[in-house]
Amino acid sequence: MLHVDDGALHAYLDGELTPVERARLEAHVAECAACRTQLDEERALIERASGLLGLAQPPERAMPPLHQLRRPRLTWRLRVPIAWAASVVLALGLGYYIGGETLHEAAPPASARAQDSFAPTLGYSASRDRAVASGPISPPPVAAKTAERRAANQVAARNDAPTDRTAARVVLDSARAAAAVVAIQPREGLREATPAPVPSAAVVTSRGEAEAVFQQRGRLMATEWQIIRPGPARDLLGAEPVGIPGLAVRNIRRSPTGEVVLVEQAVDSATVIQLFQRRLEDEYVTRQMERSATPAQARRLGSAGTERLARFIGGLRVEISGPLSTDSLNRLLEQVKPIKP
Amino acid sequence: MPEDLAEIYRSTYRSLVRFLYRKVWDAERAEDLAQEAFARALVHKPENARGWLFVVAANMARDEARKAARERRHLTLLKSEPDAVHSEPEELIDAETRREHVRTALDLLTPRDREALLLWDAGMSYDEIATQTGLARGAIGTTLARARRRLVEAYDSGSERGGQHVARG
Repeated sequence: MLHVDDGALHAYLDGELTPVERARLEAHVAECAACRTQLDEERALIERASGLLGLAQPPERAMPPLHQLRRPRLTWRLRVPIAWAASVVLALGLGYYIGGETLHEAAPPASARAQDSFAPTLGYSASRDRAVASGPISPPPVAAKTAERRAANQVAARNDAPTDRTAARVVLDSARAAAAVVAIQPREGLREATPAPVPSAAVVTSRGEAEAVFQQRGRLMATEWQIIRPGPARDLLGAEPVGIPGLAVRNIRRSPTGEVVLVEQAVDSATVIQLFQRRLEDEYVTRQMERSATPAQARRLGSAGTERLARFIGGLRVEISGPLSTDSLNRLLEQVKPIKP
Repeated sequence: MPEDLAEIYRSTYRSLVRFLYRKVWDAERAEDLAQEAFARALVHKPENARGWLFVVAANMARDEARKAARERRHLTLLKSEPDAVHSEPEELIDAETRREHVRTALDLLTPRDREALLLWDAGMSYDEIATQTGLARGAIGTTLARARRRLVEAYDSGSERGGQHVARG
């Protein structure tokens, strides 16, 4: 009889032969020393291969109950575009009410009128009106009136075209909305002049700003989050900014309100990791504010903050964000340490 | 039948996660994909739910492959970074190194051999593997014999290279 091939030996050892095949193989092996030796070798091979696969096991975690899986979950491929779409909507919404301070400061007055007609599409042009209206000295109610007056004047000055009427309505709305925001979002100067607990609102707003700007990073980040050098970043944070050792630092930026420092690092030419960092005392104020936030505000904050992983390092709260899985971001966050000057 | 699926869920979920993990190499994602496969099975109620689950899971894992490959590059990059402060228990590092060697060795198998091996390790029978891979049932033993041999050889040669590398470094 011919010797048994290794496929049959594996099938035998795997218990996958039919009773007839099994009996035939055993009869042969009983008489054939070479096949017995090979059988032992194949048995050892199977054990070894099985052992190796055992080294590559996922950690065993609790199974969710089957009934919790009733609704098919979104695939990763779907989830990412939906998350981005939601982010853009969120960013546009937030951008409509906030942001734009730096734009305002940088933009010449002559360009403002041209920008106004784009108010429906450029969320932060409304903030420009607000910023114009709420100068560092004017208190909020006056700012609101000024903004409305200014908007009305702008409308009166160019109500000769139908399209301008639309723009005018938007400008008016923008001014009203901005005025409403001004009441809870004092600028630097106002904050210094106001002793009440109002400043906590500004911190939250800046968190929203960070979120909005991050989501639109291509456009807003470049214009509103100024690139700064490590020295000023250190001054803002009261500590060395942190980063992932071994990765090139692309940029260090500051948020428009100067409370958040953003370190951007390149993992490769196409992937940038962002590390948002702020002083812990700001974080404390943020939490105080979150506790007193209205349910609607809390929901907004919650939805804006869930995607980032955070960690406390020294006197800083650091949030990481980037186009990698949670596992990868977690691992990166674990490695974060102060960037050496 | 939902009762059947509940039983299959109990007996197969972990195997499916393990099967997926060795394809996407991310435990959380493997769990997500496994759960999604079961959620789809609840909706579609397939005849042969076990086989169906592995087909669906394998397809989802394939869709993930590009993304996983990209992230693998990142993690490899990070692993190669010298990190004086970063300290893990030695046995954890060893386990991680061995896992990486296994992963590399699996990558060196042909897709068909690897699939057969992973399906067998996930608890599928020769019949099920034949259905899943399109191989003749009689060829499964030979395929598994070859896959196991290549896995062990690739692992051993990879470990040797890794050991020499460490010794040189």
